[in-house]
Amino acid sequence: MSGDGTDDRPVVLAVDDEPRVAQAFALWLGDDYEVFTATGGEEALELMDDGIDLVLLDRHMPGLSGDEVLQRIREAGYGCKVAMVTAVDPDFDIVELPFDDYVSKPVDGSSLADTVERLLAVRRYDDRMAELYTTTRTIAALESEKSPASLEDSEEYAALLDRRATLQGELDELMASMDADEVRELFELLDT
Amino acid sequence: MASSDPSEESVSAAELSTLVQETEFFRSLVENGSDAILSVDENSTILYANRSVERVFGYDPEEMIGERLTMIMPERFHGRHFDAVDRYLETGDRQLDWSSIQLPAEHADGHEIPLSITFEEHSYDGERVFSGIIRDVSERVARQEELERQNERLEEFAGIVSHDLREPLQTAQATLAVARAGDEEALDELEAVFDRMETLIDDVLALAKQGRAVGETESVALGEAAEAAWSTTCREGATLSVESAPTVSADPERLRALLENLFRNAVEHGGPEVTVRLGTLEGRPGFFVADDGDGLGATDPERLFDYGYTTDEGGTGFGLSIVADIARAHGWAVAAGDSDQGGARFEVTTA
Repeated sequence: MSGDGTDDRPVVLAVDDEPRVAQAFALWLGDDYEVFTATGGEEALELMDDGIDLVLLDRHMPGLSGDEVLQRIREAGYGCKVAMVTAVDPDFDIVELPFDDYVSKPVDGSSLADTVERLLAVRRYDDRMAELYTTTRTIAALESEKSPASLEDSEEYAALLDRRATLQGELDELMASMDADEVRELFELLDT
Repeated sequence: MASSDPSEESVSAAELSTLVQETEFFRSLVENGSDAILSVDENSTILYANRSVERVFGYDPEEMIGERLTMIMPERFHGRHFDAVDRYLETGDRQLDWSSIQLPAEHADGHEIPLSITFEEHSYDGERVFSGIIRDVSERVARQEELERQNERLEEFAGIVSHDLREPLQTAQATLAVARAGDEEALDELEAVFDRMETLIDDVLALAKQGRAVGETESVALGEAAEAAWSTTCREGATLSVESAPTVSADPERLRALLENLFRNAVEHGGPEVTVRLGTLEGRPGFFVADDGDGLGATDPERLFDYGYTTDEGGTGFGLSIVADIARAHGWAVAAGDSDQGGARFEVTTA
């Protein structure tokens, strides 16, 4: 659904049983993201695919609840981030829920956009960090086995070095692109 | 009280008389004190019991003297009691704090009573005697439990209310945003959202009111109360059938609220042609309200009476918790199940 290649903006799926709420989320995020909406858990799961970067998920919904949708998204192994956007007061049971963020309703356009931006930055960071790790390990494995001369001749090895440099640059850029408050907030959160 | 005779002999008689009278004074104080007082020997045999033991434990003082202290202990404490006494007599170690400890005792009729006990060791006639001053703290414990229950309720309640107000607030905000973006028809929906919030506020107020203890109870003819409650809750097509109706001892206003909420539940979930039946329970005092709708189905009977539990989008989920609150305030029990007609059946046991 989302992988038509005509749009390289990040893809967000907004799920809320109140159609107006899902619609408003799409409206608020529509300038910067490609947004799909679903008004129920079943519909949300039908729309899920690997192209989705972030799901905004209501908890209280008739039929399949947001909590169940979250579990199924994780079981299916999608790499997306999931933010619960809900009026349900968080209770201790939320520690069992594998979400990435918990946002209390009512939420307005700008704080929703902040949440989305922050989570997508974390997702980009995660992805690149994982790839950087693998790339670095591959380079190390080759370097321990191959002679310097054969490394020098290898196009694959050269491509790996390029990729590593690119990833390092992107990670630095991502860190720099988060504004100072966000970074501080993130580290304060991580520090406690 | 002392004699006016100035002779030495008389003074000494006066002293004696004071002593006797003081002894009598203390005897009477102990005997008639509002706290129960018990003395036991090293073997936990009761040596003395004052008159208040009857009020606290339901036994005559004479019945208790010569018996073991375990006669007023719940069985699960017997072993521990003797172990603690043996250890104390041997080592002087006190297993418990001896001042104002809280322990349950067993009343002559078998029920447990929470006590606050202060005890002390003294010697009398060369024997070690242990005496306890015992206060029945049932009322205090009940008050405390009631307070805890109320706090829990309040917390739960605050959670539900904040959830139920935030949800429509979000919808209102979203609807406004959609309208501002050009879809002006969305504005019409705001009215329904505000109605929902208003209903919620009304229900919250009703619930806060119903949580109170019951006022004066009187004999209420259930049939008449049911007709009155039905007049405000019925819908076109719905029928109330009073099969038999006992007289109940109730706060009439609260009973009507209880019936209204049961009827509203039946009318809202029982379909347009619902028949609601009210009748007397068999084998125990009380009444039932049953409908011929779809029954409880997948509804969780455990959660049915919880605040805010609803299977209906437009409902606030307070109706049945109001029913449970009113029943509890009267000392009644309410249970839900399926009726013979396949609908839901609520049974209120009034004793």
